[in-house]
Amino acid sequence: MTDPTVLRTRGLTRRYGRDSGLVRAVDDVDLDVPAGQTLAVMGPSGCGKSTLLHLLGGLQRPTAGEVWLAGNRIDTMSERALARLRRDSLGFVFQSFHLMDELTAVENVELAALLAGRPPRRARQRALHLLDRVGLADRATHLPSALSGGQRQRVAIARALSNEPQVVLADEPTGNLDSAATLEVLRLFEDLRAAGQTLVVVTHDARIAAVADRVVAMRDGAFADDTRLAGTVYGGRR
Amino acid sequence: MAGRLLLVCRLLLRDLRRRRTETLLLLVAITAATATLTLGLTLSEVADRPYAQTRAATAGPDVVGTPLSTGRAALDDLAPWPAEAGVTNHSGPFPVAYLTMTAHDATAHVVVEGRDAAPAAVDRPAVTDGVWVRPGGVVVERAFADALRISTGDTVSVEGRPMRVTGTAVTAARPTYPYAGWHHPGSVLVERGGLIWVDQRDIAGLADGRPLSYTLNLTLADPAASAAYRLGPDLRTWQSIGDLNGRLYGDARLTLLVGGWLLSGLALAGVAGVVAGRIMAQRRRVGLLKAVGAGPAMIAAVHLAEYLAIGLTAAATGLAAGWFAAPVLIRPSAGLIGTINTQPPALRTVIAVTVLALAIAVAATLVPVVRAAATSTVHALADAATPPRRRRWRIWLSRRLPTALLIGVRINARRPRRARLVMVNTLITTTALVGLLVLRGRVEHFDLGYTALANPRGERQDQAVVVVMVALCGLALVNAIVSTWTAVLDARQPLAVARTLGATPAQASVGLAVAQVLPAVPGAALGVPAGLGLLTLVSRDEIAYPPVAWLLATALGVLSAVAALTAVPALVAARRPVMETLRT
Repeated sequence: MTDPTVLRTRGLTRRYGRDSGLVRAVDDVDLDVPAGQTLAVMGPSGCGKSTLLHLLGGLQRPTAGEVWLAGNRIDTMSERALARLRRDSLGFVFQSFHLMDELTAVENVELAALLAGRPPRRARQRALHLLDRVGLADRATHLPSALSGGQRQRVAIARALSNEPQVVLADEPTGNLDSAATLEVLRLFEDLRAAGQTLVVVTHDARIAAVADRVVAMRDGAFADDTRLAGTVYGGRR
Repeated sequence: MAGRLLLVCRLLLRDLRRRRTETLLLLVAITAATATLTLGLTLSEVADRPYAQTRAATAGPDVVGTPLSTGRAALDDLAPWPAEAGVTNHSGPFPVAYLTMTAHDATAHVVVEGRDAAPAAVDRPAVTDGVWVRPGGVVVERAFADALRISTGDTVSVEGRPMRVTGTAVTAARPTYPYAGWHHPGSVLVERGGLIWVDQRDIAGLADGRPLSYTLNLTLADPAASAAYRLGPDLRTWQSIGDLNGRLYGDARLTLLVGGWLLSGLALAGVAGVVAGRIMAQRRRVGLLKAVGAGPAMIAAVHLAEYLAIGLTAAATGLAAGWFAAPVLIRPSAGLIGTINTQPPALRTVIAVTVLALAIAVAATLVPVVRAAATSTVHALADAATPPRRRRWRIWLSRRLPTALLIGVRINARRPRRARLVMVNTLITTTALVGLLVLRGRVEHFDLGYTALANPRGERQDQAVVVVMVALCGLALVNAIVSTWTAVLDARQPLAVARTLGATPAQASVGLAVAQVLPAVPGAALGVPAGLGLLTLVSRDEIAYPPVAWLLATALGVLSAVAALTAVPALVAARRPVMETLRT
């Protein structure tokens, strides 16, 4: 039988500084995320949520411990192998969108596919399909400067899905959005959850937590609480 | 692969379009260096071409014999030459006298050659104006005629005997004015002078009883074989005549060569400054590319492609600019015929210019690109500033400094590389200006025996100096503006914070100006000895050192220019409301 856990950490630790200036951003964290689960990581500012997400995505190296993605240990991988992993198996959504200002919406979405070596025509078809899925088919040729905050974040989500990743990692995806735009993103996350996409979302927003299958609360770099939800989610019922 | 290539091209084109001003600045910087190098190399490449064309047009000789002996002895010396192995044709011996000529109150040494009206088999001077020799008339070598402002129809005096100028002509049998090879009969010491032709029957009368020399022109079956002849006061080959003609461009070539080095250095500093500003702005982009799966090689490819495209465009622009400017600067001697730009630039020139442009682009971008590629993705995405290194002595010193100076020191401590670029820019500019000051002090005239005339080498060097000066000052100005502009943009936030802590707008703007002037001081101080040293190293003649006051004024002038260029943007930056800056 195959292991249903897609993302796993053991004794994951990330420290900064030393002696009296030592900060334990992530402190001995064990985590298992099964395939298809939507995990929300919550906690106050500075508790280590974003650092945990960066460690899970191979954007930062841990001080100690292990990170496994789909059965492969990633914390010991080379920079080149990590780049390949991010290209093929991970999707990132950032609070500040991080779209390329000089590229149109569709070009931003197909960026990851082109980097992965997909043929340009296929990459374009997939990007247009994803933009349609996030409700932005009519904005495909717009530059990010011509899009609203919510639209930009939807483009960023479409980009994260471009290579059909095993896990999507989202860092405060609604942090820069107003209420209406937050609702758009929440609906999208709910669709992703329903489609069986594994999602790890770091957030302050309790409404995002309501979309999740499981909520982990962090404090001082460690897990303070781990709750599995089974109730109502935003925009419908489970 | 096609997808990645498409991505590199797309990012390249979009970024170039988005950052037009920076792209233009990069182009200007590299083009200045490549255009100067093209000029220098073209000068070397085509300096010999007018002589070769003149040689072909005048049936020029491969070897010219002019024994030191005179009269019968000279004719006896020359008698066996036409029969020597490899000689295919000859003309002469023609009688030669070393006399003086006066025209328009200027008196000069003159080599007088007696000729027949009929054209000779070898060395048929091409008449450029008027007619060929006839009794009582004189034909003046064209460059010599130009120097003495002689025209056809004028009357000149040869050894006090008035003669009418029937025409002007050019020849490949003797170097052009002022290297006609004048000497006292029997002497090996050659002095500067011009060349005239008279009817063979007139020369004895002009010499007034002095013994005549003779000259014999030979052509060989293999012209290159003339290089094997032993050169001396009695023998010249077409190669040695070509070398002497090339001296006309010697000083200009040296000026362009040294100017090219300095401009390349300045271009490198300028490009590094612009690139540093761009890379700072592009750190987030690098972080984003890494987050979506671009590896270090892909990131380097995206950035290098951009700078290589700019480098190649600058190489093409520089080649074209240098090639079109060459005829203006490389004005062949009036003593030669032919044109300069009838052929495209030599492959050697194209390769050298392209390599220079790409080297500047790659050298200036490699370190920042590698650093950006190696930066932590999280760091790059957060757009975090690199904290300055804390040094005890600097902190101790900064506590005791006046506010404006403290701000200046702190700004430089944040961006030490930019401060170093300001120093390099000032150093090269001062070095070049001091070098040009030294060149201004060189001998402008030379002695023609009785009259001093303008040095035609100096005229050409003056033109080269103007080209280098304009390019150098333009590039230094661009570099200073770019450096100040990036400093102002970069220091906006810390200056706003300093103002919230009580610094006045005046202190903030003076602090910004100080940040630019401080690294310029060692640059200007080192530039003075560097300029003198450089000229001493490359100059073949003895150099005349300018007065100390001039050198001091040059260094102070450079520093004042830096301060003035910084003052305006610094004042504008300090006027901006603090809250507006802090919000952005």
